[in-house]
Amino acid sequence: MKFKAFLTENGVSLLEKRFLPALDKMGKICHLFLTRDHAIFLHNLLNGDGVQCIAQFRKEALFDDYRISSQNEDRIAFAIDISLLQRAVRSSVSICSEFGSGPSANCLQIKLVKKLPPNCTQPMPFLTFETKGYKSAVIQDVPISKPLSRAQVLELQTSLDMAQDLPQTLVQVPDLNQLQNFVDRMKHVGDVLNVSVSKHGDLHLQISTTLITLGAEFRKLMVIGEQADAPPEDKNLSAQTRAERAVLRGDAQSVQVSVKHFSKSLQCHLAKPDCAFYGIAPQGACLTVIFQFFIPGTHQTDKSISLHCRLPVLDPGS
Amino acid sequence: MSSSALEPAAPDLVCQMDNVQGMVDAFSAVRWKRHQDAVIELSEHGVVLIVEETSCLQAKVYLQRELFIRYEYHAEGRPRFGVSLGLFVDCLNTFSAPGRSSIIEIRYPGPDMQLLIKSVDSLDACIYAEIRTRIPDTISWDYNFEPAGSSPLSFTVKSAALKEAIDDLEWPGSSIKISLQPAPPCVTFKGEGHGDLQIDFMYYANTDLLIAFQCDHQISYRYKYKFLQAATSNLPSSVIRDNRGSKLTMGRGGMLKVQHLVSVARPSTSHPHVDSAGYQQPSRIAYIEFFVKPEVNEDAANDS
Repeated sequence: MKFKAFLTENGVSLLEKRFLPALDKMGKICHLFLTRDHAIFLHNLLNGDGVQCIAQFRKEALFDDYRISSQNEDRIAFAIDISLLQRAVRSSVSICSEFGSGPSANCLQIKLVKKLPPNCTQPMPFLTFETKGYKSAVIQDVPISKPLSRAQVLELQTSLDMAQDLPQTLVQVPDLNQLQNFVDRMKHVGDVLNVSVSKHGDLHLQISTTLITLGAEFRKLMVIGEQADAPPEDKNLSAQTRAERAVLRGDAQSVQVSVKHFSKSLQCHLAKPDCAFYGIAPQGACLTVIFQFFIPGTHQTDKSISLHCRLPVLDPGS
Repeated sequence: MSSSALEPAAPDLVCQMDNVQGMVDAFSAVRWKRHQDAVIELSEHGVVLIVEETSCLQAKVYLQRELFIRYEYHAEGRPRFGVSLGLFVDCLNTFSAPGRSSIIEIRYPGPDMQLLIKSVDSLDACIYAEIRTRIPDTISWDYNFEPAGSSPLSFTVKSAALKEAIDDLEWPGSSIKISLQPAPPCVTFKGEGHGDLQIDFMYYANTDLLIAFQCDHQISYRYKYKFLQAATSNLPSSVIRDNRGSKLTMGRGGMLKVQHLVSVARPSTSHPHVDSAGYQQPSRIAYIEFFVKPEVNEDAANDS
């Protein structure tokens, strides 16, 4: 089992300034899954009922001279502490910058190693950062879990494949900051958020308790996938009635999620996506948020980066 | 559910407000604990929110009709209803987006006697809320405030200084003596217990802090610290920023009235520095009053 690669300048800045801060908010520990072509950060795919978060990079987006080999079709996966990873990347950047003009080519190599830490009898696995500066070279060892077994990797791959299912209808949220502001204030009022997404381009959020109903409706959003025209008679209804009727007509789906999860998934805006889409998976299996990244300076999707979250649906009976 | 959402008759109140944050600030000023029940009273003059505690402390927030950009009142008498203050404030806060003035419409009653709130300034994004109301408890104690004598006993102090003084008096004990004396004109706050702390506002020495003073005889009363703290600790930051004053008046029997002014001006029209003598648009101010009963104490030193 071998892995080594050089982090590119672009890769370092993507990780350090954008993705690691966002992923850190998703949870302390994540899985890093490396394949022949991709590096994928995964939260909560194997365990737990929290927000699943999947950040996938094509190897060229982060690395140069990417070499991986394992007996399991060159796939390696392990658990890593995001904040330690972030610290290692951050200090590597400062060392690389000794050159004056920012990180230069091939000054930051990462690789998997097994080392015998002090006061231990057994070697432990590490993700090692070797940084060559102008005057100094620094080696940082980030502890990682034992690499996942063949069965666990298969399980990870299966849940990753399952997580790729796209909702039939996705609506685009134009202003993530506005949404986050709203949800941050809304979460004082209740714990369960009812989310409905319609083919007409409506996103409806509502918290309802015995004492209060608080909701927000965003209309005329861009729709990807199945769409339908809203019946004109719905125009003058209240937001709540409109959403209920759309669900009854089959033009909308609605699920309940935890307000905390919803708010957490919005932290992904730290990765500076260009826009976000909300959709409900078939059969209301989960609420999916897909963040889109453009190639800088264009409006074309950067296919080498993808980030999406899946929010577990609460049992309406509970 | 049927599509006909027509109300049978005009609701008691439909009003619109363009500064939600000002409303949140004003109501937050009387929010001294987590779970508080408030009574809201509607009239043709405006909206009054009342909270009280253990028959010793009452607070009122007056939102005059001039603060609203639209105020349609159709009720006979003065409708009153109860809400949870915390829920109401948290809910209003959801409507307030930073850096953007949003217009909300408040309507009472809804089809199920709810308080209905919705944002009305954007067609494509709408926030709405329905708050369950209760039949209000009867006000347990009459807070009729009457002047102590022919001439008022009152002083006006910078809100920031008052808050700081009360905050500082936390450690000595659970009760605070407030004394006024005419010569030399001076207000004294004194806490005794684990040691004592006395804070004097001398009228001539601190004219920038003690703005006005009216007293023709020496008087002093004791008040529970926690009530004085409730009356000052939740002042919104805008009150301090606007450098406003708070007026304290001692009424008959030592009842203390504490009045604060909270700006409900739109952010674009508010002046960053309003000095005390400066012109303050009277119609853009919410009035907040606290009534604090004195501690019953046989040896209260009243020279009146």
